[in-house]
Amino acid sequence: MSARGVAVRLLGAIGVLWAAATFTFFVQTLLPGDRATLILNQESGQTIKRTASELAPINAKYGFDDSIVGQYLHYLGGLARGDLGSSYQLHEPVARIIGDQIGPTIVLTVTALLFAWAISLVLTIATAKRGRVRSTLGSGFETIAAGLPHYWLGVVLLVVFAIDLKWFPVEGETSLSGLVLPALTLGIPLAGFIGQVTRDEFEKVLDQPFVTSARARGMGDLGVRTRHALRHAVLPGITLSGWALGALFSGAVIVESVFARPGIGQVLVSAANARDIPLVSGVVMLLAFVYVVANLLVDLAYTVVDPRMRTA
Amino acid sequence: MSLEHPAPSPPADTTRGRARLVGLAAALAIASTLSACGGGGASGGSDSASAGTAAGSGAASGSATPVRGGTIRYGHEQEPPCLTGGWVQEAYIDRQLLDSLVAQEKGGKIVPWLATSWKVSKDQRTWTFTLKPGIRFTDGTPLDAAAVAKNFSYWLDPRTGNSTVQSYIGGYYASSRALDATTLQLDLKKPYSPLLSSLSQAYFGIVSPQTLASGADAVCTAPVGSGPFILQKWNRGQNLTFVRNPSYDSAPANAKHQGPAYVDGIVWKFLGDQTVRYGSLTNHQSDVIYDVPTVDWQEAKARFEVQQYITPGTPVRLSLNTSRAPFDDVAVRRAFAYATDRANGVKSAFNGVIPYNGNGALSQSTPDYDASLANAYAYDPGRANSLLDAAGWSAKDGAGYRTKNGRELTVKLVYPAGSVITSEGVTLLQNIQQQAKQVGFHVDLVPATPSETFSGRYSTPDSYDAQPWYWTSPNAGVLYIVWRQNLKDSPNGNNESFYNNPELDRTIAAANSTLDPAKQKQLYARAQQIIVAEAAVVGLYTQTTSLAIDRRLRDVWLEDSQGEPVFSDAYFAR
Repeated sequence: MSARGVAVRLLGAIGVLWAAATFTFFVQTLLPGDRATLILNQESGQTIKRTASELAPINAKYGFDDSIVGQYLHYLGGLARGDLGSSYQLHEPVARIIGDQIGPTIVLTVTALLFAWAISLVLTIATAKRGRVRSTLGSGFETIAAGLPHYWLGVVLLVVFAIDLKWFPVEGETSLSGLVLPALTLGIPLAGFIGQVTRDEFEKVLDQPFVTSARARGMGDLGVRTRHALRHAVLPGITLSGWALGALFSGAVIVESVFARPGIGQVLVSAANARDIPLVSGVVMLLAFVYVVANLLVDLAYTVVDPRMRTA
Repeated sequence: MSLEHPAPSPPADTTRGRARLVGLAAALAIASTLSACGGGGASGGSDSASAGTAAGSGAASGSATPVRGGTIRYGHEQEPPCLTGGWVQEAYIDRQLLDSLVAQEKGGKIVPWLATSWKVSKDQRTWTFTLKPGIRFTDGTPLDAAAVAKNFSYWLDPRTGNSTVQSYIGGYYASSRALDATTLQLDLKKPYSPLLSSLSQAYFGIVSPQTLASGADAVCTAPVGSGPFILQKWNRGQNLTFVRNPSYDSAPANAKHQGPAYVDGIVWKFLGDQTVRYGSLTNHQSDVIYDVPTVDWQEAKARFEVQQYITPGTPVRLSLNTSRAPFDDVAVRRAFAYATDRANGVKSAFNGVIPYNGNGALSQSTPDYDASLANAYAYDPGRANSLLDAAGWSAKDGAGYRTKNGRELTVKLVYPAGSVITSEGVTLLQNIQQQAKQVGFHVDLVPATPSETFSGRYSTPDSYDAQPWYWTSPNAGVLYIVWRQNLKDSPNGNNESFYNNPELDRTIAAANSTLDPAKQKQLYARAQQIIVAEAAVVGLYTQTTSLAIDRRLRDVWLEDSQGEPVFSDAYFAR
């Protein structure tokens, strides 16, 4: 990538982060209801209308009585200095909260991505163009898996494999065995997506002349599939993975709640309920950042898989 | 104050989806349970041995001598935004960390805690508390009368205060001061007979003045008290960890023992999903859980020690907005109450586990509750129809809803989705919607997200016609909090029916300040009768706390002011 290319990517990345921060700020600010009331009511467990004298100190403390534009500029100013602000609700700096919680989420999403690839590759190699029954089973599984909602799948896996069969812990565990069900919950639907695009490509490649010539050289079927066809077929899947890594982070919000796992997903849910603008914005910007980085990684991965890209 | 509400629970739309999906998952699970029956039985040998022992706290106590050690793994539901404050979710936690002046026993009797004795002046305006000498906070500073007085000042300071404390005693409190190290004098503006009962709640737990001096963030996240446990760490979104206070020597008189806790500590986990919470207990990842799912109640009774606590205060009830049509007309409010079979609705929605509370003013476990109102507005659609006809809602539109002067009889019923109104509660509301339709009400069910709920989006007279909510309280003095008139110079946001009735206001104020218990009971009864006769609220069910406890863990109990779990007497049987 040229220096100019790098600069364009960087600017693009900053633009994405700015848009994410701005969008979140305005959505959270302009929602109906009053933020100072929310803070007071959550601490006392009430839902009532508050008096002006009750609200005044809260408004002053958080600057809610400034104009919206003023609050926005103040917020952007903080971001420009690298200050994500402090959570209204948790009374801690946003950067520290995210730093504390990001580890388990990264472990979960990366494991889910690995599961997804493993499932979809095995399935593709084992079933694509292997007769009608096998092919149909394989692509049928992919179609169904791709449509499974995370919440539903998570609860089913939890009830069957943790609660009833007791093969895995029910909640909270960050151990290896505690990782399996949450990662499968995220990984199975993604395996469906990756499998679908990989299979299409794979089937096309198997009809290509170079495959026929490889077979003519006496190469076995498995060798043809893994060494020749696969290399071509995974490219669309890799493109998809860039998007998927971001989507997995979003999916983690639900999965972490179901399995009571630590992570930024849980943080985001409670922050959104509390309209904790600095914290919600911080997490949303992090998600945007993950998308940006993931797409960059995809570009790099292309050059590894497809040698033609290296000179481009 | 009240509610179970969900600070950290998923947004309403996921929650609603969740209800359906849990059902589906449960259906799938049945198949796997059937096939896994043999295996499950093997690991649960001790469970089946104890099957048949009935629910109730007595079941597991008594036999063995308490054993030191072990850590209690407790699966709780909601995580509050702060560890101290005015929400019952905060009170549950504070009960582990803090001591209060007095404790309340079943039936309303007050027993000593930090205060070994107390006396009140003849005019009931000056209270003198004698404190147990030599108590220290876990930061080493003394818990003396001056420290207690500082807590009162902090709670009642409008800038820092605790709005639930203010709701109780704000209108009565004058001042507090230390006469000497162990004598506290509390002066009131007018007599307040529910004082001691109110003080027994953990909102009134005494925090170290060092914490108070460190500011609001410290009070929120790292409160230090003199209680049986010390806060070790708050892992946000996950759990709280507590360690035992080795020099604890200020348990209330109704505790099962004096001195430090038997266990080493508590891991207080936040498990918002009820399937996960109950599964955590059955799979031995928790020793005790909060709020047993009603579908699992019968099984839990057989396998575990279970305890149920009917929370006093108001029941969960629909506040009807009396400030605008259609519920500005008492006949329409009564018709709405008669139109719905709430008694059976509660029974079926909550699987018979949680009781119906027809008296919308007070929960049946509250001292001075008027039982004669228990069956108020029993299901009578004929009566509902004739009331509506007489009130002028006699025409019907194409959809079968009643109209008056071309306006449809619509009720906008807003409910806080999530853990205040769980999926069971939503089922009840849907039944109410269907039954009200039979007599011509168009009930529009509007779920509110936690952020909408707490931000006061539905707190104004123009934003709803009916809304379910509750307020837990150990005494009938809660009527003053909820029904005090909402006036321009003294607003009362807790009057969610926007019902201003000077006679009711006077009756409750007189009850709160009367010196004669018999007279007081009569006045509280009169207040309940007015509220019910005016149908300003419609009673639904009691706010109910339950625990399911592994049988190895003994002597966990729920205290009587709020149903706060007490772990300082608990121990693991060998």
